[in-house]
Amino acid sequence: MALSLPFQQIRHNGDLMPKHQDARFQGARKYVLDPELASIVNISMSLEMPLLLKGEPGTGKTMLAHAIADTLDMQLITLNVKSSMKLVEALYQYDTLTRLNDSRFGDSTRDVSNIDDYIKMGKIGQAFCAENRAVLLIDEIDKADTDFQDDMLDVLDQMQFDIIETDRTISAIHRPVIIITSNAKKDLSDPFLGRCNFHHIAFPEPKMMRKIIQVHFPAIDSQLAENAISAFYAARGIDGIEKKPATRELINWLRALQADPDFKAKDLLKGSMPFLGVMFKKSPDYERAKNITGRHKRF
Amino acid sequence: MSGPKTSPAGTNGSKGVFMFIKFFYTLKDVGVPVSPTSFLTLQKALYQGLITSLDDFYTCARAVLVKSERYFDLYDQVFAYHFDGVPLPEDEGFEIDQMARAMLDEWLKNPKSMADALDVDENALKKLNPDELIDYFKKRLKDQDGRHDGGSKWIGTGGISPVGHSGYHPGGMRVGGESRNKSAVKVANERRYKNYSTQGPLTQAKIGEALKRLRNMIPAGPKDVINVDETIRTTLRNGGEIELIFDRAMKDRLKVILAIDNGGWSMDPHIQVVQTLFNYARAQFKEVKTYFFHNTIYDYVWEDPSRYKKPKKVMDFARLDPETRLIIVGDASMAPYELMAHNGAIHITDRSGRPSIEQLNFLAQTFSKAVWLNPVSQIMWGYTHTIMAISQIFPMYELSLDGLEQAVTKLMEKA
Repeated sequence: MALSLPFQQIRHNGDLMPKHQDARFQGARKYVLDPELASIVNISMSLEMPLLLKGEPGTGKTMLAHAIADTLDMQLITLNVKSSMKLVEALYQYDTLTRLNDSRFGDSTRDVSNIDDYIKMGKIGQAFCAENRAVLLIDEIDKADTDFQDDMLDVLDQMQFDIIETDRTISAIHRPVIIITSNAKKDLSDPFLGRCNFHHIAFPEPKMMRKIIQVHFPAIDSQLAENAISAFYAARGIDGIEKKPATRELINWLRALQADPDFKAKDLLKGSMPFLGVMFKKSPDYERAKNITGRHKRF
Repeated sequence: MSGPKTSPAGTNGSKGVFMFIKFFYTLKDVGVPVSPTSFLTLQKALYQGLITSLDDFYTCARAVLVKSERYFDLYDQVFAYHFDGVPLPEDEGFEIDQMARAMLDEWLKNPKSMADALDVDENALKKLNPDELIDYFKKRLKDQDGRHDGGSKWIGTGGISPVGHSGYHPGGMRVGGESRNKSAVKVANERRYKNYSTQGPLTQAKIGEALKRLRNMIPAGPKDVINVDETIRTTLRNGGEIELIFDRAMKDRLKVILAIDNGGWSMDPHIQVVQTLFNYARAQFKEVKTYFFHNTIYDYVWEDPSRYKKPKKVMDFARLDPETRLIIVGDASMAPYELMAHNGAIHITDRSGRPSIEQLNFLAQTFSKAVWLNPVSQIMWGYTHTIMAISQIFPMYELSLDGLEQAVTKLMEKA
């Protein structure tokens, strides 16, 4: 094929292993990529459009950005959106107080008459100014109010913003790869959606889940994995559960099961569910699951 | 891989583009909100040669054109129709589909009552297999449409008929999910996204989203936010001696009264959704007071759900901040005298001189920002006299995501 999509290398084998194993984050840096999602990532990168990801918690929305950054050896810049956030905080900050302080006492190396010395780039600003193409992750955009989203439109569209204080325009040196995640079921504003590509990450099917488990526990006993996965999907299917256990819960649960010397994989088939508290974090859910799974001798 | 494989990119020339235009308009026709800009983006992707197979096209066109998972199912259907000739459901087909399924469910549970409701012989229906049954129910539903004004026998009779509930969701409908190594057409035919496409039950997250805008930010708490403008001004006035000026942070101080009808069998089907609303409200608002009543409000409401221990005089509400938002949740369905008569309350201890409707009017006057949320689906309101009467007093909204959003908009309106 003539076209060279940068993300293609992970397309064929489906698995994605990080190039740099940061010792501390070893567990968290593993990601199994769905081929469908890979092609959406590729096309968004080629079209230079932000990719909006939705899906229930635990489907790996945030992890995807980490995976892209790792695979393509790009810098990852994360903007964690907060509910009270104003867009300008994500772009830059003008540190008036330091300047005021410097002008009064004059004992710093900064030049008080030069406002630029007091401008600090926010996360979006950093992504624009980065020397190499970076991955910009805008995490949980739905937390902020709609003003924030609307204001961000122009910035992402034009790939530039103005610093009002100095009347300087910051343009992106390289258009960053932008990944936006949203947890809420609510739709974002239409003009915002119009500028993004969209993908909804469905909860992994058992087959995919087996792969994920394989990546996280390369040495796991296959019967244990199999039984745990079917018990896990059964637990997700319990009626009236408010917070369904997600991938994260399954992985922690497996860790707990492995750590328990008395535990035998075939117990799971009999319907017993040890360590329910790892799976269900809300007390009504916990009670419900406890009643349904019945035998819960060890806890 | 099986299934048709064409190369949409370029090889078909102008004919290919035309095909996509038709695809685009079919999407638009069935109600997927697609924009011309996104269509052009898709063209760009095609011309850049980013799409080399129908599978690519399926994935990419969806990412570019469809911006919410709610429309994924519709997209799948249109895709299957367009590239594999699977017929699209007819007009209103989507709704009738669900209704018929609800009827089938009901039939499986209780064939006799269903047969009675439909006014047919139970044994005649028993001969049909489920598919035929669905077809039969669909036909009946369409007949029903035709004679809507005549006061049909079996839809809208208020709770007796098993099919009068429009809010039915084919719950637990599982999406087929096996291997991904299938052609796009096959995947589209599986309709993997079916369970996102219905309106879906109101979950806490959804209610949270809807109520998020219900906020009233006012400065409160300790003075711990620096006011730069004031600081500079004061510093200048001091001749350069820095003086820091602090303000209070903006906090949400909205007062909410939530009054919930928790009595009577008529509210039973709605308990879960009301509970969700209640839980959310308690978690979200700092100052939320919850009261309970049965059917409608007389002299007292109660702070305890059993409506026994802690009565609160409705007249005392007059002393509360008139800016308080009053949200009443109830089906507003009762015998007309309960609302209108001087001694209408079905509980003898409730009886006083004032008919409930006057109390409701009093509340509406006290709190200019009040809404009534009704879990009964809006199309049924016309059949119940008391719903109509109460909706004259309070702006009434359906207890659904849309209704909640409208209600919140109403509550936040500037007077």
